[in-house]
Amino acid sequence: MTTEAAPPEFDLHTPQKWWQGLFTQERIATTFVSLVVAIAVILPLITLVVSSFLVLDDLGFDTEWGLENYRELFGDRLIRKAFVNTLMISSGTTILATFLGVSLAWINARTNCPWRESLEPFNLIPFFMSPFVGAIAWHNLASPKVGLLNNLARSLFGIEGHILNVDNIYGIIWVTGIFFTPLVYLFVIGSLRRMDPSLEDSARTTGAGLITTTMRITLPLVTPAILSGAIIVFVTSAGEFGVPFKLGTPYGVETLTTQIFTKAVGDDANHYLGAAISMSLGIITGLFIWIQRRVIAPREYTTVTGKGFRPNIIDLGKWKWAALGFNLFYIFVAVFIPLICLFIVSLHPVWEGRIIVEDFTIINYQKAVFWWSPEAIESATNGIGNSIFLALTGATIAMFLAIIVSYMIHRTKGMGSRLLDYLCLIPIGFPGIVLAMGVLITYIQTPIYATLWILMLGYITRFFPYGQRNISSIMMAVSEELDQSSRMAGATWMTTLWRITIPLLKPGIFAGWILLFVIFLRELSISIILYTAGTETLSVGVYYLSNFENEPMTAALSLAQSLLLLACVVVFRRIAGREALTA
Amino acid sequence: MNQSETNGQYLEINNLVKYFGDDRAVDGISFSVPEGKFLTLLGPSGCGKTTTLMCIAGLLKPDSGEITVGGASFTSTEKKIFLAPEKRDIGMVFQSYAIWPHMTVEKNISYPLEIRKINASEIDDRVMEIIRLVGLEDMVGKDATQLSGGQQQRTALARAIVCRPSLLLFDEPLSNLDLKLRERMRIELKRIQHEIGITSVYVTHDQAEALVMSDEIIVMSKGHIEQTGGPHAIYARPANRYVSNFIGIANLIAGKIARTTDSGRAEIEVVQGGERLILPCLLGEGLKTGDDAFLSVRPENVHAVRERPEGPSMEGEVIQTVFLGNHLDCRVRWQDFEWKVQAHPRERLREGESVFVRLDADHTLAVQP
Repeated sequence: MTTEAAPPEFDLHTPQKWWQGLFTQERIATTFVSLVVAIAVILPLITLVVSSFLVLDDLGFDTEWGLENYRELFGDRLIRKAFVNTLMISSGTTILATFLGVSLAWINARTNCPWRESLEPFNLIPFFMSPFVGAIAWHNLASPKVGLLNNLARSLFGIEGHILNVDNIYGIIWVTGIFFTPLVYLFVIGSLRRMDPSLEDSARTTGAGLITTTMRITLPLVTPAILSGAIIVFVTSAGEFGVPFKLGTPYGVETLTTQIFTKAVGDDANHYLGAAISMSLGIITGLFIWIQRRVIAPREYTTVTGKGFRPNIIDLGKWKWAALGFNLFYIFVAVFIPLICLFIVSLHPVWEGRIIVEDFTIINYQKAVFWWSPEAIESATNGIGNSIFLALTGATIAMFLAIIVSYMIHRTKGMGSRLLDYLCLIPIGFPGIVLAMGVLITYIQTPIYATLWILMLGYITRFFPYGQRNISSIMMAVSEELDQSSRMAGATWMTTLWRITIPLLKPGIFAGWILLFVIFLRELSISIILYTAGTETLSVGVYYLSNFENEPMTAALSLAQSLLLLACVVVFRRIAGREALTA
Repeated sequence: MNQSETNGQYLEINNLVKYFGDDRAVDGISFSVPEGKFLTLLGPSGCGKTTTLMCIAGLLKPDSGEITVGGASFTSTEKKIFLAPEKRDIGMVFQSYAIWPHMTVEKNISYPLEIRKINASEIDDRVMEIIRLVGLEDMVGKDATQLSGGQQQRTALARAIVCRPSLLLFDEPLSNLDLKLRERMRIELKRIQHEIGITSVYVTHDQAEALVMSDEIIVMSKGHIEQTGGPHAIYARPANRYVSNFIGIANLIAGKIARTTDSGRAEIEVVQGGERLILPCLLGEGLKTGDDAFLSVRPENVHAVRERPEGPSMEGEVIQTVFLGNHLDCRVRWQDFEWKVQAHPRERLREGESVFVRLDADHTLAVQP
């Protein structure tokens, strides 16, 4: 008798040649994606390292190998000053954002502060907004001459001069700090909410008071989360370009990012020196991120259980109104007055710091936003379509990569999976402007330069790990056996991916997609290095107006961008939980 | 291909080796299963039983060895053959059941049929037939997330057998159920397997499960096979100290074979705390006079009596009694050794009492160390 036991409907046991084993769907897809990711991530970094050792001669035509760039890095007074400024701004921002983030998280997660459920989404809004736009708004609110708040103070209280001034290093710290507060907030509130309340209860039963328990139990348990948040803020603010560019550069405060910018596109552009500055910034941020990921993140004990707990709520008594006031103050300075100020400024033909109702006009919108109107300034309005295209296409491609990469990290074993894990860490460790510098030097001679694709490449390389983390967190919770049982049911790798894996990951994929969509819509520091005439983005448009036109037009486009981003926040909250934001 | 070429065996594993890093998880094991039989791989966690199962399924690629099903080679490192898991036509029930939460119960069960592009009306018929077979009629139309543990189990089984696979694999399918349900599902699984007659390989660490369900049991440890045999043989004639200890409860005491007879009997010399005894026993496989061995005897074959019995006996003290309703678990200290004794409650042994321990020679076995 024959032993071909297969049912007739299914062709089995086709003899395989040994090499056919090398070309499985899984292997082709994962190899292809790993190569793409590896090239996209590593190539610009290699170029950056190599070109930082190329020295441009005085005429700017020829290069030779040498350490001159690095000598200049330490010798040049301006760069040295920029270095010190960057450290001061990052430290100041970290302190401010950590203070605000931890207190707001504690108020929202652990106290009986009134209306805290309704305040929560507002606390997160700055996360979605552009800090550059925040800087523009605060410039119009609190610059010495044209600041709305200063003018109000002068006319109401008859004060001479000004009460507030954000056009300096403290202004940069203030704006960056309030905009990066949600980063700390998200880390800490997650940790506070996931903490098993019995940990605190058992401390209370040993006779420890409320304050002792908070200091000896709660705080140490949350410390890793606070440190993680603080490091992320430090690194992000070191790489922030828009805020120092708006509030620092015109007033003599340079940072490493603004210096990289001038070396990339300015009149005395020197890509090789720019590469050296980028290297020094990248090494600092990379080191910090490495510490956060490998040393601090594994110590977040409270996140281990992953169970939903009902945390202990502390009764603040009368102080709950102070807590409410504090939270409202934050939302006020980070969300409301900046947006209102932009709206007011955008209605004036020229902005002199005073509200003049008779002069209200929509001409600024016609010039800066309505791309169909004949007065439209193309350098500004081009960005709207370009950014939407980049965000839609970029987020989709990035999430596709993220799915395969997460699959490899969590579902395959061996070297490849560990290497990919590291590869995904690299872009997070390097500020956008550093990566963009590498991308610029790498691809400036290729046809993709001066197209939207070079921007797309920069965006995806820098930010796809954020999407990947969204997917990974779900993939870790989903048993591998769900995939395996589909294979056993006779489905190929591709069919399994399509019918089982992706549907199960849907919430993570959506959350990641919208997060990337938002990030791409407001992206400035990569765009500013890689754009050319015709490939402006929304934020580049704002930059252009701020630099070459006037404040009211800038405000009009800024407001339009902010409203677009706000709409995304609403969609995001519908689809994803707050956990999805923690990058 | 002829049945004779496969020696009447349906599934054949030859010299299977699988490394995890430097760890030899499966260390060159070989076994075979006749068509329609139920084989259990039994052993503690980390013994390589699940790894072996995954290799059969094709979810792991062995480092060397050959796997043949029904005469067709699924994996052969020598011939460089590795059939993708989806091409093996194997049904598998996973430890977590792996019921897809985004599908209904029927969609879960009909998935393998859909993948095989069977027409819709036949799918419906076959799904309903299977649903009746596993007793899930009440759950038709429900979401997979609404299922209880036992129902998930049944769904997983239904999905594994719906396309009448050539081989059925179980990876500790009962370990997540509570005791009562587990005992019921054992019988149920065995019934269904018997009804459809699919050759099955079952992995478990639960010896009771293995004894109840299997036609044949393979006891594994550290990546190799300790013993192969029917449930009765494994229990009554463990090949060595490891198996004896792993299956059921056994008194194990070191000794030396003093004398052997032709009828498979022997005498074993046991020295304990200065006392030297010669005890009659059955001779286990691979032992001869002068060999070091272990005496293995189940608690139910150890008797504690108040009066000195005829033949060899050991005087000791009852140090613990645990009343379990139908029997009395006792510990009797003799020299440095504690005998586990299963006594009848009527005997009313008391702690501190002095007794004589006698072994049932027909159920006392000398095994390899």
